[in-house]
Amino acid sequence: MNLRVLGLLLALLGAVAALSAQGSKLLVVLEDEAEKSKYSQFWASLEDRGFQVTYKSPKDSSLSLFAYGEPAYSHLLVLPTKAKGLGPNLTPNLIVDFINAGSNILLALSAQLSVPSAVSSLLLELDITLPPDRNSLIVDHFNYDTQSANEQHDVLLLPSPQASRKDVKNYFSVDGLIAFPHTVGQVLGNASPLLSPVVKAPSTAYIYNPKEEFESLEDVFATGSQINIVSAFQARNSARFTVLGSVEALEDKWFDASVQLPGAGKKSEKTANKAFAQKLSAWTFKELGVLRVGSVSHYLNEGSQKGVSNTTAVGAALDINPTIYRIKNDVHYSIEMSEWENDHWAPFTPAAGDALQLEFSMLSPFWRLDLQPTAQTANSSIYSAEFKLPDQHGIFNFFVEYRRPFLTSVEEKRTVTVRHFAHDEWPRSFVISGAYPWIGGIWVTVIGWVIFVAVWLYSKPAQPKRQLKAGNVKR
Amino acid sequence: MAAATTEKTTTGFFFEGETGRNTRGLLRLIILCTIAAAAIASRLFSVIRFESIIHEFDPWFNFRATKYLVQHGFYPFWNWFDDRTWHPLGRVTGGTLYPGLMVTSGVIWKLLRFLTLPVDIRDICVFMAPAFSGLTAFASYLFTSEMSDSPSAGLLAAIFMGIAPGYISRSVAGSYDNEAIAIFLLVFTFYLWIKAVKEGSIMWGALTALFYGYMVSAWGGYVFITNLLPLHAFVLICMGRFSPRLYVSYTTWYALGTLASMQIPFVGFLPIRSSDHMAALGVFGLIQLVGFAEYVRAQMPSKQFQTLLRAMVLVVFALAFGFLVLLTVSGTIAPWSGRFYSLWDTGYAKIHIPIIASVSEHQPTAWPAFFFDLNMLIWLFPAGVYMCFRSLKDEQVFVVIYAVLASYFAGVMVRLMLTLTPVVCVAAAMALSQILDTFLVASTPDEGDANKKPQANGTPAGANGSVDIKQQFANLADGLRSTKAPLVGIYSYLSKSMITGAITAYLLLFVLHCTWVTSNAYSSPSVVLASRLPDGSQHIIDDYREAYYWLRQNTAPNAKVMSWWDYGYQIGGMADRPTLVDNNTWNNTHIATVGKAMSSREEVSYPIMRQHEVDYVLVVFGALLGYSGDDINKFLWMVRIAEGIWPDEVKERDYFTSRGEYRVDDEATPTMRNSLMYKMSYYKYNDLFPAGQAQDRVRGSRLPAAGPELSTLEEAFTSENWIIRIYKVKDLDNLGRSHQEAVAFEKGNKRKKGGAGKRRGPRVLRVD
Repeated sequence: MNLRVLGLLLALLGAVAALSAQGSKLLVVLEDEAEKSKYSQFWASLEDRGFQVTYKSPKDSSLSLFAYGEPAYSHLLVLPTKAKGLGPNLTPNLIVDFINAGSNILLALSAQLSVPSAVSSLLLELDITLPPDRNSLIVDHFNYDTQSANEQHDVLLLPSPQASRKDVKNYFSVDGLIAFPHTVGQVLGNASPLLSPVVKAPSTAYIYNPKEEFESLEDVFATGSQINIVSAFQARNSARFTVLGSVEALEDKWFDASVQLPGAGKKSEKTANKAFAQKLSAWTFKELGVLRVGSVSHYLNEGSQKGVSNTTAVGAALDINPTIYRIKNDVHYSIEMSEWENDHWAPFTPAAGDALQLEFSMLSPFWRLDLQPTAQTANSSIYSAEFKLPDQHGIFNFFVEYRRPFLTSVEEKRTVTVRHFAHDEWPRSFVISGAYPWIGGIWVTVIGWVIFVAVWLYSKPAQPKRQLKAGNVKR
Repeated sequence: MAAATTEKTTTGFFFEGETGRNTRGLLRLIILCTIAAAAIASRLFSVIRFESIIHEFDPWFNFRATKYLVQHGFYPFWNWFDDRTWHPLGRVTGGTLYPGLMVTSGVIWKLLRFLTLPVDIRDICVFMAPAFSGLTAFASYLFTSEMSDSPSAGLLAAIFMGIAPGYISRSVAGSYDNEAIAIFLLVFTFYLWIKAVKEGSIMWGALTALFYGYMVSAWGGYVFITNLLPLHAFVLICMGRFSPRLYVSYTTWYALGTLASMQIPFVGFLPIRSSDHMAALGVFGLIQLVGFAEYVRAQMPSKQFQTLLRAMVLVVFALAFGFLVLLTVSGTIAPWSGRFYSLWDTGYAKIHIPIIASVSEHQPTAWPAFFFDLNMLIWLFPAGVYMCFRSLKDEQVFVVIYAVLASYFAGVMVRLMLTLTPVVCVAAAMALSQILDTFLVASTPDEGDANKKPQANGTPAGANGSVDIKQQFANLADGLRSTKAPLVGIYSYLSKSMITGAITAYLLLFVLHCTWVTSNAYSSPSVVLASRLPDGSQHIIDDYREAYYWLRQNTAPNAKVMSWWDYGYQIGGMADRPTLVDNNTWNNTHIATVGKAMSSREEVSYPIMRQHEVDYVLVVFGALLGYSGDDINKFLWMVRIAEGIWPDEVKERDYFTSRGEYRVDDEATPTMRNSLMYKMSYYKYNDLFPAGQAQDRVRGSRLPAAGPELSTLEEAFTSENWIIRIYKVKDLDNLGRSHQEAVAFEKGNKRKKGGAGKRRGPRVLRVD
């Protein structure tokens, strides 16, 4: 974790102009140089935000995700290709390695170009399933654009995405409708906690293969909100992988298009695609939702250190982050958290209905506490908790694990030893009132013995004759 | 032995009268010093052959603890909470060890430094046991001299004790274990006790208590003394030999000794709570009653008093015993510990406490071991015990009791051979000295002198007070034929020389045997293995240290290493890495957890290892070299111990084939072949051999053609002879897949493109 934070910081130093918290080098993989112009507004937006964009064709032999074993780019944008695969430089294994190295990927698909099997098998590794038919697209007879797809109903018009849960921040809200033409729908696996939908299809949508001649659909691949138009995957190392079902949504054409929903009383309006594309790429390339842990400190909150809340003020007198505590000590724990917001670190606050939690655990948590915000600086907020250590010695962890959709994961583990009472840390016997009878007993015996000895020594000895006799008694 | 000869054969100015006494004293001193030197020298094989290194398992912990003591001082050691063992529970080490050994070496280290002799603490630890064995020889000289009037008995006992393999087995150089000093303390405490009972002096009783306290601080075997001394007192009382001497020495020892023993944190309140110590307490109470009764009788003597007293004693004893049982049942007094039960029923541990049974030194002794460890002493031993009956005084009663108890215990547990050895040496020395005293007299006995013979040939009359008493006793009992001193006298020089020659030959053979046993059986450090090459030269197999140093130099200082508990102390001592379990088997559940992780499938083991923050797993694997002490051979113990806690998840039966065989080849059960231990042992082992030829040289079986696959672990290190294999535990998969899937993907196997649409059965919908 430390290394990761350090990596982020270094990346930050290396690319001051970049808005991403991670790095500015972006590789765009597109097949045709001619296609480039279709997305000029999107490229301009990226370059404005400080990305150094490199364009490469998948056939280009100089294309390599790695340079000297390190990722050559921080971000990768893959546009759909006509070819069957992505070529030898973009095999699923290489892309997985690229993700494992912490780099981010935005993968755009299009129903008009069949999806290469390399891509679908890569997505399967992430537990994202694409329709088996290469040309399937999402159709909705209620939310289509009447102006461009009056017959086909394959240009979906969707309102701004909502946060799926209360405790999740929404990074993708825009004003107006977003158009998704010719979308490849994705179905997310049920098990993976790393996946989260960004834009779901409306409940009336379904997946349909226009090449098939049948009138009725018997076996639909997926329907309704099970279909995802845009889905996000965040690996355990916080590398981001976004699948955008419709590459056309990024085209200049749809940035400026005006669209209209079916039904009476619906007006023609301008799409919000530009804003959405900006937000989606910003999130994927880590301009949003990146968390950073600043200082983590814990200290003994008793004795002379009791109630010292501001750790920086006291300085040397305070013993910060000791490696060993004793059972039943009172301790103070605080963690500094910041969130990257486009171009600066801002104090982090969890979403409403969510809390940052601290676990004090050995094998299983002994404490699980909500961390309270106690202070704020320009760039960070400080959360802290105070508690009494359990009556159990062992090797414990102060553990803050914060994994939420769309936020980079935080895993802060500080290991401390909790020892038993030392021999001189128990209360003395005379402090314990219950011990008085025994202490009294000891002293009575001692004094009684001394008196007995004194009396014995000063009493007149008995006649020596009798004593001898007693000593000689035979057994 | 030479001593005895020297003493008898020459006469003259130096050996008679006052000068003679001095000369003999000087000789005795020189002989004792020589014996001590011999005792030390015979224990140095391993240092000469290998190097100055700590041996085996437990000594590594003692060594580590000593280093901690030397580095941090006494009080930090006293309160030591060790966070590098038993992760993540930790161990209150300061309160759960016997500090005597470490403190002793710490004091010696300080003393030497004070004398400006900066000696490495390791050398002190290595040479501790031999040095103390010299003292043990001296202590057994003192002890035996109290038993026998013969001047040679003590010296014989000293040399026997010095070189008997039964004792050497635990006290070679480098064997830095509690027993190293405990046997000296045991013998010396017994000597002081005998002295106290003889003299009836508070001073000797207090000294007994002092050394008893030292013994308690040094070894858990102190319970032997705690029970033997009361038993001695009890038997003496029952024999009607109660005396103020006994009263004074016992009460002094018990009161002071119990207080002293309670100062050790590990013992604490055990002396008044645990059943093991109740005998001492009971006899303490009994002796008060008897003392009181004696006092009453002295005041008002009467004929009926005797019967009344006996009845009273019995009633009180029965009451006390009943009370004890009641307290034990109600739980006020701790019930007998498992180790104690296994002393009486050798099958007990195997059924109830596999962890005790799994220790090889807790196994019953094999009969040849007695001869192996004691050689001719074992047949002199009964003779010596018989000699004790001939003049049965208080101290001889002690030897008889000690002999009976120790023989039994030595038969039950291999390691208790150690407590038997001193009494065997003493008894054998008494028997042998009797033979020598009888046959090694140059002059032909006088007819008229015959009656006084037994005294005359030994100590000069009057040198020992007990001789006078004996003489008086003999005179008193003149009327009884059976108590008459037998007429002993050897007239023929032939028989004299024959017997003497035979004994000398036996003694020489004994020395040869002891040296041979020490050199061949007891001088291997077991950290370093030695083997012979075909040309006879020695080949050192140093895999253990190689692996431990790899851990030390290539892993993070806090990397947790999981291994079977046998290697815990060594990893802690040599690799300096935290371990999950070690040879201090205080937490059976934790050991069972490791056993479960080792004996289960990877899918089961991985969460356990994650939970315990394991970074590396270490296994010992002997198949390549034919090293039979490896983990696959210990594996069934892991299974059994795990089964004790999780009988539903781990079953011993599953590891045996349907015919009840324990196999590792093609016919091994699936449970066996999927267990983590099996996989770790044989992982990539096939690659060493031509296809299908992999051979296990320990179990003598051909291994399956396809070796096991590992997905949650990756091989980190394998030592030169494959004895130690270390695996690194993988982190969770970055993409949230299972390790099996991740490994399959890396190998290029495409995941089955089932997808949600083609799945059989009801479709599982995702709910966000």
